[in-house]
Amino acid sequence: MTIILQLLFTGIGIGAVYALVALGFVLIYRATNVVNFAQGQFAMLGGYCMVITTVDLGLPYWLGVVISLVVMALFGALFNLGVYYPLRHRSFLPVVISTIGASILITNLVLALYGPEPTTLPGMTDYPGISFGAVFLDAQYLVIIATTLALVILQYFFFEHTMVGKKMQAVSQDKEMASLLGINVTGMIMLTFTYSAVLGGIAGILVAPILFVSVGLGAQIALKAFAASIIGGFGDVPGAIVGGLLIGVAETLGAFYISVPYKDAFAFILLFAFLLIRPQGIFGEKIAQKA
Amino acid sequence: MSLLEISGLSAAYGAVAALSGLDLAVEEGEIVTLLGANGAGKSTTLRCISGLLAPTAGDIRFAGTAIAGLHPERVVRLGIAHVPEGRRVFPGLTVRENILLGASNRHSTRAARARDAEEMFALFPDLVRFADTRGWMLSGGQQQMVALARGLMARPRLLLLDEPSLGLAPLIVQQVFRIIARIRETGTTVLLVEQNARIALGVADRGYVLETGRLVVAGKPEALWNNEDVRAAYLGGKRLSEESRT
Repeated sequence: MTIILQLLFTGIGIGAVYALVALGFVLIYRATNVVNFAQGQFAMLGGYCMVITTVDLGLPYWLGVVISLVVMALFGALFNLGVYYPLRHRSFLPVVISTIGASILITNLVLALYGPEPTTLPGMTDYPGISFGAVFLDAQYLVIIATTLALVILQYFFFEHTMVGKKMQAVSQDKEMASLLGINVTGMIMLTFTYSAVLGGIAGILVAPILFVSVGLGAQIALKAFAASIIGGFGDVPGAIVGGLLIGVAETLGAFYISVPYKDAFAFILLFAFLLIRPQGIFGEKIAQKA
Repeated sequence: MSLLEISGLSAAYGAVAALSGLDLAVEEGEIVTLLGANGAGKSTTLRCISGLLAPTAGDIRFAGTAIAGLHPERVVRLGIAHVPEGRRVFPGLTVRENILLGASNRHSTRAARARDAEEMFALFPDLVRFADTRGWMLSGGQQQMVALARGLMARPRLLLLDEPSLGLAPLIVQQVFRIIARIRETGTTVLLVEQNARIALGVADRGYVLETGRLVVAGKPEALWNNEDVRAAYLGGKRLSEESRT
């Protein structure tokens, strides 16, 4: 029993990181109808920003976080202007290829600047964690879960209770109609990219102390986050969160009870199972279109 | 000076011409209707006015300001609201949220927007019950009411209505047109595109008849309704003769 609780805690912790990246996928998909395949690279960049500011430059951890988030916000805006905006009137495919190209470029730029060796980032706190009987709650995992929870609540409030949130939803549902009402569609999409990059950056900052910071970090997280958003029902916000947590728990349990080397496979076994049994995902087809 | 003056307006979808040299004027306080069969260029005219489509030639003036080619976000800020064909209610937002978003063309406080929304619920009492219902769950008639209310929230001087009767039951159509008549009483000018000529001419002050992107005849509702060619074009689907184009 204690083992199960311990594994669930770890699984939810890592799953929360997948959920944050999956949220980025979903928000950009809803705003632009395009999958941003560079979403994982946002997380990698967040991790590297932390390494550069706190390890290389020796800045305090909190300052590193602030600088990293500002850099990620700027990067998201730049990404929108360079990768999405010039192709906004084109179909799905050119934009997707553009994001794949951008992700390759980002990966190789980091490789050229920082080399292939993985680096490490210390945790947010020196405090090791809390023990509940035999269950040990690691401090970094607690930070991850708390941050994700806070972000989800904040985001819910933003989308459901602010006018800007409503405008962003309107843009994601019908851009032409939104512009007819006087909503600044370009601005809303810019805001979406900025926020998604910050979300990705936060995921990277949170997960960096657990995994190594390397150029492969982006792809590693993005694949599972992508699977998470499909499992949840692509384009669905609660789905992305539930899907992320499910994958985190599944791979943690799978690694412990079945096989550690195959840890990364469990996410995709779960994905296949969903594609076979419930291809629309957990929350799929909730919003039907009516003529 | 007319509120809306269109001269020599031409537009195309790719290589396909949709409008060729249209002249049209709408005076302040009028309801003007654009009639014509499918593909006559009625909706295209509205799309050019609201900025969804950039015209290939011609001039559009709203209260003296040239607006041809302006972005829709700019046009609606000048006071032209476009309620497009198919209602286009945001499916994932509630009725109240849809209506509130109609005020996005102007700066207003939260309280002022809420007051305006209450006014809309007073104008469309049937919507009160559905205030917190999401758009996709509404019937076609309810969606049309939401679309009208959302358009009025912009406080437009000119309201562009595209096929408000499309797909609605006859009783609901009558209800919608009673509201359109009331909208004019509040001082809003209406440019109405309709396929249902009888009901459109019943509410309009003047009408224009388009055919394949050209103006064929314009005039008072009675004159248009009694025009044999217009009736033939509507009732029998026969093309208007060349002589009547002069």
